[in-house]
Amino acid sequence: MAKHRLRGPLAGLLTALTAVTVPLAACGTDSGGSSGASGPIQIWEGYTGAEAKAFAHLVADYEAQHPGQKVSALYVNNDDTLQKVLTAVRGGSPPDIAYLYGSWAPNVAQIPQVVNLTQVVKQPGVDWNDFWTGERAVATVNGKVIGIPALVDNLAVVYNKTLFAKAGLPLPGPGWTWRQFQADAKKLTDPAIKQYGTAYVTPGSEDTVWHWEALLWEAGGALLSADGKQAAFDSPAGLTSLDTLRTMAVTDKSMYLDPTDSAYANLFNSGKIGMLVTGPWDLSGFPNVHYGVQVMPSYPGTSGGHQTISGPDNWVVFDNGPARVSAAEQFLLWLTAPAQVRYFSLQTGDLPTRQSVGQQASLSQQMNASLPGVATFIANLGNVRQARPQIPQYPKISQILGTMIVSVLLGQSQPQTALKSAAAQVNQALAAS
Amino acid sequence: MAVSSGRQRPGAVRRVIGSDHFSGWAFVTPGVAIILLFGAAPIVWSAVMSFQRSNLLSPSTPFVGLANYRQLVHDPIVVQAIQHTLIYSALFVPGTMAVGLFLAVAMNRKIRFISVYRTAAYATMAISTISEAIVFIWLFDPSYGVVNYFLAMIGVPQQQFLNSPSEALYVIVAMTIWGWTGFAVVIYLAALQAIPQTLLEAAAIDGAGPWRTFRRITLPLLSPASLFLAVWLTINALQLFDEVYLSTQGGPLNATTVLVYYLYNQAFQQFNFGYASAIAYFLFLVIIVITAIQFRVGRRFTHYRS
Repeated sequence: MAKHRLRGPLAGLLTALTAVTVPLAACGTDSGGSSGASGPIQIWEGYTGAEAKAFAHLVADYEAQHPGQKVSALYVNNDDTLQKVLTAVRGGSPPDIAYLYGSWAPNVAQIPQVVNLTQVVKQPGVDWNDFWTGERAVATVNGKVIGIPALVDNLAVVYNKTLFAKAGLPLPGPGWTWRQFQADAKKLTDPAIKQYGTAYVTPGSEDTVWHWEALLWEAGGALLSADGKQAAFDSPAGLTSLDTLRTMAVTDKSMYLDPTDSAYANLFNSGKIGMLVTGPWDLSGFPNVHYGVQVMPSYPGTSGGHQTISGPDNWVVFDNGPARVSAAEQFLLWLTAPAQVRYFSLQTGDLPTRQSVGQQASLSQQMNASLPGVATFIANLGNVRQARPQIPQYPKISQILGTMIVSVLLGQSQPQTALKSAAAQVNQALAAS
Repeated sequence: MAVSSGRQRPGAVRRVIGSDHFSGWAFVTPGVAIILLFGAAPIVWSAVMSFQRSNLLSPSTPFVGLANYRQLVHDPIVVQAIQHTLIYSALFVPGTMAVGLFLAVAMNRKIRFISVYRTAAYATMAISTISEAIVFIWLFDPSYGVVNYFLAMIGVPQQQFLNSPSEALYVIVAMTIWGWTGFAVVIYLAALQAIPQTLLEAAAIDGAGPWRTFRRITLPLLSPASLFLAVWLTINALQLFDEVYLSTQGGPLNATTVLVYYLYNQAFQQFNFGYASAIAYFLFLVIIVITAIQFRVGRRFTHYRS
């Protein structure tokens, strides 16, 4: 409800309509820029701050090293990029390269103008297997490579050392278990001073879902059957993982539930939360607490071990003619080569997208010095063993799972019934298409 | 566009070009063209899309007839979204009007610092929705929020607010009433100041007390403003989106999923643009029907002075 625009009653309905029609408004118009066969490569990215500075530096480097090649970068808020790309594709003038969220990959793969990079990444010198498993999985849809990894992250546990000391608890070790996590959370909870052991984001969105997916995998479970046609999470592993969360949220009340996805970080920084399962992007938001980082706990006795989940993003190439495609590919391969990956990580604190870079002890130490704890996140990339299913139905499945998790955490349904009902809905969604 | 001069003789063409009619159209044509391009064209396009299965990604957009509309009738979340939208509107519209009227009457007098109060009342309109949402998220935080703190002082147990499927929608109602009060105040203040002093004096001379004067003179003379506010706020209520998107994202458990939020979800998160267009057209229909009813019913209670 945008309250600053005054509209007549008839024009009022436009808001609703614009929501679905904005992408169409630009149809048939050529916004220029990338229309010619020559001219600079158009790249849409969403970098701000240190990332923007480092990226601009890399682009300048590239242009200096490759006379005749020009790269023109356009800032687009990452959340809106797909929407804008769709508009541009319909208008016949997509960018040559766009930064797109990995979760969009199965849908992005349906755009006919997206360039198939399967052969490109096999070229000598690219060393495709040097990218982390989780990244390669997200860049690949049905065996087709549709992007080159642009960013990688993962989930680990960030804990408040001061609160652990006050509670007389030993700090989490690398071999810790979910049972320990649960017990620690309980002991770190103190209703009198409104202190919680841990927190969970409960808007029911993908942010709610992927936190749980890591637990499911660690418990030895899987989201879908191997052929991707059936739900497989209504299993003992599914139950174990949901029970872990339910015990903390409902029984122990040691879990702060954040329906807005916006409060937990401030609360952790204010020393009100003992442990958070979160990613490296939050670290810079905790200047007020003395924190440590540890890998996710495990479920002993299962095959899962210590795992985590990663949400990588991709650089996607669009077809504006063979000359431009090849120029765009050349730039991307340079941008994602080890030297540039190392530079970008050092400047920004983003995790290195290549294993060979991540395993450089010197880089890890240097990054950890400016952003304490980031080294654990880099090492934790090795624990990314699985990726979310790369299917176009995933957004629908995610929504069903989000509802399932929130209903259990709010104590509205029992894990067993919630799993059963969600599995039935997922099967229906998979069968429908 | 209104002028067709195709088969007329040159003299006639000159006459047409020289006419006031022509120059009038010439002046409005750029505006009309822009409205047609960015207003009418998308409206028509989304109407077409509501009969297609379209994800905007792949070029294949098969016509599916009324399938999207049929799906709409059988979608349990649409039913919930309609309920939430109606409950929300039924509370938000009268709520905003009542609070706005109260404040406007209270401020319709000559007291010290009155312009400060008036500015303060309108300030809620000037504050961006995102700041408003953040403030309310913290006010209504179950553990740390000041609302629960005050409730505890009077012995009310801790409420879950945005974490509770049965309470979240009411928090959104409170948030938006607060945000829109300034708008209602301004409209009512302007209308109050247009009431002729003579009528109020005549009522006083006839022995009417303040309440009676308010009931019999002020309120009826405010009715055009009330009708305007009712229609305007209802249209905006039916289009509730920002506050939901910024605070609860439709949750918990769809408790705050209203029609426009669901439309957004279907279009931009699920890539069902055809279905989302059908929802948009359904909403369009609802708005037209409700507005028509409001005008029809409102006319009976509205007094316009000549």
